Amino acid sequence: MTEQLRAATTEPASQEVERRADEAGPVDYEVQLESLNQWQLAWRKFRKHHLALIGLGILLVFVVVAIVGPIVSPFVFNEIPKPDKLVGAGRPPSLAHPFGETGGLQRDVLQLVINGARTSLLIGFSSMAIGVIIGTIVGSISGYVGGFVDNVLMRIVDVMLSLPLLFVILVASQFFGNGNVILIIIIFGVFSWMGIARLVRSLFLSIREREFVEAAKAVGVRDRRIIFRHILPNAFSPIVVSASLIVAGNIIGEAFVSFLGFGVNPIYPTWGNILSNALTFIPQGNWWWPLFPGLAIIMTVLAVNFIGDGLRDALDPRSRA
Amino acid sequence: MTKYVIRRVAQSIPVLFGITIVVYAILLAAPGGPTAKFANNPRVTLEDREQFKKAWGLDQPIPVQYCRWLGACNPDVDDKILGIFPTPGAFISSHGVPQFLPSALGGGTNGVVHGDFGVSIDSGEPVAGRITRAALPTLILAGIAFVVWIAVALVIGVYAAVRRYSAFDQAATVFAYVGYAMPTFWLGIMLIFIFSGPGLNILPASGMTTTRLSPPFGSDAYWTYFGARPIEAIIDIGRHLILPVFTLVVVNIAGDSRFIRASMLEALSQDYVRTAKAKGLPGRVVTFKHALRNALLPVLTNIGLEIPFLFTGAIVTETIFSWPGIGKLTIDATRQFDYPILMGVLLVTSIVVVFANLIADITYALVDPRIKY
Amino acid sequence: MTEVIDTPGQRGAPPARDVLLDVRNMRTYFHVLDGVVPAVDGVSFSLGRGKTLGIVGESGSGKSVTALTVMRLLDIPPAEIVPGSEVWFDGQEILSMPIDSMRKIRGNDMAMIFQEPLTSLNPVFTIGDQIAEQVVLHKKVKYKVAWDRAIEALTMVGIPSPERRVKQYPHEMSGGMRQRVMIAMALSCEPKLLIADEPTTALDVTIQAQILELLKSIQQRTGSALMLITHDLGVVAEVVDHVAVMYAGQIVEEGTVEQVLVSPRAPYTMGLIESIPTVEKRGGRLQVIKGVVPSPFNLPPACRFEPRCPYAWDLCRQVPPELYATDHAGQRARCHLHTPAGEPRRGPALEAHEEAMRVGRGGRRNAMTMDERRQA
Repeated sequence: MTEQLRAATTEPASQEVERRADEAGPVDYEVQLESLNQWQLAWRKFRKHHLALIGLGILLVFVVVAIVGPIVSPFVFNEIPKPDKLVGAGRPPSLAHPFGETGGLQRDVLQLVINGARTSLLIGFSSMAIGVIIGTIVGSISGYVGGFVDNVLMRIVDVMLSLPLLFVILVASQFFGNGNVILIIIIFGVFSWMGIARLVRSLFLSIREREFVEAAKAVGVRDRRIIFRHILPNAFSPIVVSASLIVAGNIIGEAFVSFLGFGVNPIYPTWGNILSNALTFIPQGNWWWPLFPGLAIIMTVLAVNFIGDGLRDALDPRSRA
Repeated sequence: MTKYVIRRVAQSIPVLFGITIVVYAILLAAPGGPTAKFANNPRVTLEDREQFKKAWGLDQPIPVQYCRWLGACNPDVDDKILGIFPTPGAFISSHGVPQFLPSALGGGTNGVVHGDFGVSIDSGEPVAGRITRAALPTLILAGIAFVVWIAVALVIGVYAAVRRYSAFDQAATVFAYVGYAMPTFWLGIMLIFIFSGPGLNILPASGMTTTRLSPPFGSDAYWTYFGARPIEAIIDIGRHLILPVFTLVVVNIAGDSRFIRASMLEALSQDYVRTAKAKGLPGRVVTFKHALRNALLPVLTNIGLEIPFLFTGAIVTETIFSWPGIGKLTIDATRQFDYPILMGVLLVTSIVVVFANLIADITYALVDPRIKY
Repeated sequence: MTEVIDTPGQRGAPPARDVLLDVRNMRTYFHVLDGVVPAVDGVSFSLGRGKTLGIVGESGSGKSVTALTVMRLLDIPPAEIVPGSEVWFDGQEILSMPIDSMRKIRGNDMAMIFQEPLTSLNPVFTIGDQIAEQVVLHKKVKYKVAWDRAIEALTMVGIPSPERRVKQYPHEMSGGMRQRVMIAMALSCEPKLLIADEPTTALDVTIQAQILELLKSIQQRTGSALMLITHDLGVVAEVVDHVAVMYAGQIVEEGTVEQVLVSPRAPYTMGLIESIPTVEKRGGRLQVIKGVVPSPFNLPPACRFEPRCPYAWDLCRQVPPELYATDHAGQRARCHLHTPAGEPRRGPALEAHEEAMRVGRGGRRNAMTMDERRQA
């Protein structure tokens, strides 16, 4: 009762009580535990997380838009919609152009946002993948080998985390990016691994001491097998959660770098570079131009964060909902 | 305690050293080398480029270059080991003591350890001077943003935890999610549209002072004006600060109010809070003495770790609002490939970050009696 | 923070003067996602001034909630103190009094010692500060006086060099020392009632005995009443005079320590005592009470121990038993065996218990009865 009580004094939705109820079963007061595998259990919990489901829905819509959109409404940089009758201020949203038209070149904002989705999402997710791969490798080496190697790698992480990263990325994009999408992805990826590396290392250190790894070692399981079969699966859920944060951060970061003109070449629209000239049209009250790309960013980042929250709850083996 | 501080300072030396290497690597890795900027400039002759290389020691092998740039090697010693490494003699200044010591103690005068960051490629001004000039506006912006950020995040976080599941808590949750997802630069643009656009037009959108009222900030004329009408000048800067500060703090407040709320809830659920209640202490003493004091410990570390975001946030905000600080200097230097400025700014901001973390750690050790030092 | 209690209906009259604590029909329910948990369900007992009472039960039996309800330390919601519950302390009904008045009693007239001395002390304040804070609050004295009082209290609980210890932080002390500090803290305002919730559970066995000895001697010296909550029958035997045994939110048996431990009359208590391994039972099987504690969401309809009880019959599934008087004066048990209807079964049941205590083979016999019951 004490733990039940502690839960009750602090947490109205007392999990201890729920668990007790689960275990006692409905009819014969005997212990009854459903045995589900890890993924079934995780999916069952994820489904109960409404925000995460909404996030997943939003993200799927954006992914479909990113894939199909540019085919339906392709963006051609050299094609200027109405070269003969330029209207300085652009046009507010209308039926024909639900997101309005930009000032200057009179581009359709909806078309820009749709085409931007492809590049922005591509950059966000691919750079995350690079960061996760580097981070997992570095963290695994650091945590498993330990000693001098660990010390050097972690000092490198310290150094990189002390740099104002957005600033470094900005400079790197200007120096090496050439407006190329692939290079921008690599630059963002190369500066996204430090958090993952620290995380994986700390998991290695804590899991390495746990009984099941010692048991595996004791029966002579090889190192590589210990890492891939025993340690990394346990590290999976925290990695996924921080990966979602990286996606969100890199989508915003890329938008800023491209907005300033250091990122992706405007031939390939992204949610950042389509805003490049928006500021100069402020006196004309051109609000729809920055509004919709910004909303696209916010909704994507919100969706990714919701999914991250849902995954964190779903993959936490201690919670059983 | 002294021991702990010394150990902690010693730990940050390799980090600082690593930062100088990274910063120097940027110069080396620049496409086409440091003189590439001149290649596209028809007014610069080949001889000009050679002279630039010479002046920067760019004709030397990389280890020697780096050592001189750092200020650990004497530029007057030209001997090399294996043709690339500086000789031990190169580390000794002309006064016979290690070169890296302050010049007042007989050390050298060159290199970043002696405050010599070189000269701006673009304007020919010393980098240290440009950075110092840009530092004040950034310090004003970041300093005020920091205070607002911590104060507001604390109030929101603690109140949301104490009144858990209330309307306030739920509003704070929505704000935190949306605020955290909002790109800073986009928020800045939208705020300018709302408050400085043709609609409202009640707040200034760019700069630090109103140009038709006063001379540009930082000039001698400005300080004369400031001395003559201090209140007017401060109000003017204050009006210019509102939008940038708001833009800068929203993301941080969104993130930290969540963190503080979670930390506070954690503290409120601890056994010692129940003990405090069992002693008959009034609710506010339980909350603000027993729980808050413990809840603030992790918050303190977190704030130390977030200082870099204040700088990157300042870069973003200053660009949008044309604030004449480090951020704007950085963007301009990046546009013009002005390496000496970029290296100087990177180095200075990284050092500030290292020291901020150092101070956060030491403060933590002071306030948490469980830390052994 | 959310310590508001619904204003209950008419209260009964205060108990006799020599009764310090009188708990009447107390019900504490928890509202959780899956429903309502009746953690304490109709508990009544009283404790005289300077007397000692042990409340025994396994985890989930509601003994800690009983203590926390008396202290009014539960958050409402999720907890609910069902209207009709009454707790009279020192002549006042405390469940209905404003929380501000209750705060004047807490820590002052009624003090509590918790199970985990490490987590129950605030890590960022010194021992002295945490004790003095309470003295300043209740005794309205200067901080300096309170500080001296803290040193005095530490001396009283046998902490060596208290002048030095008083300036230390909790993490600088061992578990036993911390529990002494908790006791010193509880004593600092000379309370009339001391509630100790599993005070020795988190401690080493050797330290446990010292702490129990200390509690006992302090209780005798200061003349305060003691309510000791534990799952350990041995602890009860050493420290208190009277015992109440709790099961699934109810008191199932009460009486003096000798009565309950030597001649238990409720089948649950009998089972508990049979399951204690002793030298006499050597060689026999270790005995356990069959089955598990019922889910709080799905309690048996009548007697809550019925599904696990080797002596249960039809009546136990139909009529909830009350606390009935037994053959010993003052000892009461919640079992139909002690009603006229249970009269024929009482003798054999008690005999079976005696037998189990002698031979230690009760486990097998219990299992048989369970099988028989299933077949029935």
